[in-house]
Amino acid sequence: MKIFSSFKKELILASRSFYFYVELGFSLIILAVLLLAVPENFNTTATQYLYFDMPQAAKEIYIDTVLESEPGMESEMVGIEAEGKTYEAQLITTDGEEVYIVDSREALEKLAYEKQNPGAVIRLDDNNQLNFQYYLQGYESTRLKNLISIMFSKDIGTLEKLVEKQEVRYLTTGYESINDRENTIPPIISFSSGLMGMFILASYIFLDKKEGVIKAYAVTASPIWQYLISKIFVVLLTSIVSGLIIIMPVIGLRINYGLVLLLLLTAGFFSSSLGLLIASFYEDLMKAFGVIYLLVILLMVPAIAYFIPGWNPFWIKLIPTYPLMQGFKEIILPEGDITYPLLASAGFLAAGLVLFAFTNIRFKKTLSI
Amino acid sequence: MLKRILNIFARDLKVNSREFITLYIIIIPVVMAVGINFISPGINDTTVNLALIKDENPGQADYFGDFAHVGLFNDRKEAEDRIMARDDVVGVLPEGGGYYILAQGNEPESIVEYAKLLNVLYESDVQLEDARSEIIEFGRNVPPLKKRLVNMLLLLISMLAGMLIAMNILEEKMDKTVAAINVTPTSRSAFILGKGFTGMFIAVVSSFACILITGFYDVNMWQAALVIFSTTILSLIIGFLQGLNSNDVMEAAGSVKLLFLPLGGSIAGYEFVAEKWQAFFWWSPFYWAYRANENILSKSGTWSQLLLYTGIILAICGMVYALLAPRIARKLQ
Repeated sequence: MKIFSSFKKELILASRSFYFYVELGFSLIILAVLLLAVPENFNTTATQYLYFDMPQAAKEIYIDTVLESEPGMESEMVGIEAEGKTYEAQLITTDGEEVYIVDSREALEKLAYEKQNPGAVIRLDDNNQLNFQYYLQGYESTRLKNLISIMFSKDIGTLEKLVEKQEVRYLTTGYESINDRENTIPPIISFSSGLMGMFILASYIFLDKKEGVIKAYAVTASPIWQYLISKIFVVLLTSIVSGLIIIMPVIGLRINYGLVLLLLLTAGFFSSSLGLLIASFYEDLMKAFGVIYLLVILLMVPAIAYFIPGWNPFWIKLIPTYPLMQGFKEIILPEGDITYPLLASAGFLAAGLVLFAFTNIRFKKTLSI
Repeated sequence: MLKRILNIFARDLKVNSREFITLYIIIIPVVMAVGINFISPGINDTTVNLALIKDENPGQADYFGDFAHVGLFNDRKEAEDRIMARDDVVGVLPEGGGYYILAQGNEPESIVEYAKLLNVLYESDVQLEDARSEIIEFGRNVPPLKKRLVNMLLLLISMLAGMLIAMNILEEKMDKTVAAINVTPTSRSAFILGKGFTGMFIAVVSSFACILITGFYDVNMWQAALVIFSTTILSLIIGFLQGLNSNDVMEAAGSVKLLFLPLGGSIAGYEFVAEKWQAFFWWSPFYWAYRANENILSKSGTWSQLLLYTGIILAICGMVYALLAPRIARKLQ
């Protein structure tokens, strides 16, 4: 009962503090941004510039053939600006791609350089074969450059037929993806609700240290772990409320909220215990600032791998935010793997318990620090 | 007055160096700059990851290695397990004298198409030496992602510097020495500048250190200095408002989190929002700072553009200060 009473007191204190409302306000703003400003699907149109260095008739035949081959293509004349000059171009729009056909090599060079998009000059060689000159920025990887240089070494039509003939087998079927707005939820929840616990709990403890509350605990009948856990409970409650404020209106009721709560609670417990442990080594936030800050930055790195799935080095999987974000993603995916968030939760709980036990020993030994 | 400002600055620097916080705030961005250098080549080299069977066709593995990342696995089962992992890996596996593509089913279509194209090129025996395309490069060697990360880091530095200023003011508040300034010959503006100098000094040193460490030593340093100067004024305003409006570290921590909204929002707005909607972000000084840094790091900024952007940042800061001046005066009582 003592623990419940401590928790109740902490909750009353938290409800009077500015921080508690900042958390809730922050979640509401994030929710508004997600619903009003983030589109369901980002516009990921690739742009490139082409110049046909060949007689007008040959150019028209080539463009007409391309336009006829794909019925969804649209073509219009537009003007595009580069280095203060406007260039006329024929814009061909397909699903996910914009191709500007310009009238001179100079226009192509200027546009490709200023807009930082690829460009190509298409020529006819002595054997009437198409020949390509690619304009790249210079930072593209060697592997990509290799592919570009040999991609059209065979006749395009033949190449397309051969690619179509390739057999593809899938290990799973019926995969349903989530939209871009839903895809931004896991990193937001991971940082806002899951990991801010570390920063906030450390701040709580430093505040109590400054005000002498921790020292006062030494002369009460309550064990120190009850004081620590009551602080964690407040942070967990805040993270659940703020997390649900963001998730529920965006995703709706189609996901398993039991799993969401489990992952939020265990990850929050882990990060709060980490915050407590850091706080046990320092006297105030100023002194712990460097460690907390470096940790926050380190924990943010897996967000890059989250948005660039092709970049997934082994070391990044060891950072706790990786399983946290992937766990939330599995919960949100329509046919997500339930085992993953369960295992991640078990890992966070186990790591949190170890950290908490160690922190408890440290606080018992060093009540004054 | 200058002497008094410098006295406050020297005193803050002394207090902060005792707690290593100044050192931390200088070192953290430097560590992050080194981190950016460490991860950006790997990210830039991101291509398709292929899974093949070990020793089944070494020539094929070597061929694919010129165009994709190749992983070799002892048998089909091992390759399948790798394909089923969380990231995007596609298998090219043998069967009946040919090869088929094995995918998990959740990869982007472009990755499967890339694997199909590579397999066709290999089966058609198209070699790099047969290339009919010529590549002309503009000589840019910094990938866009690295530029973005460095730009974000520069904004983060101004936030960090602002936080340090806030902490210094909070320290005075908690020691109940803010009001005491009124009975000294130090004026209010001298106090504000003096308290802000440490953060501004750190912002300047860290920003230049990051630009140099991340390899942008050929950008126009005078232009960079202009933008860094304007963002340090931004740090000063942020820090002072945070420090005076917070009563303890918890409140300061909460307001830092709130500040990440306009910071993150401005970056996301600049990067993802269509040109016609960009006007919605014009109120944010972070937006102009990010835009100005982008121009400098791309080496495409003209002096007139940068003077306009920094002018806007300073004007927004000036307006915020003018609006909140009575409140600041009240808080300093």
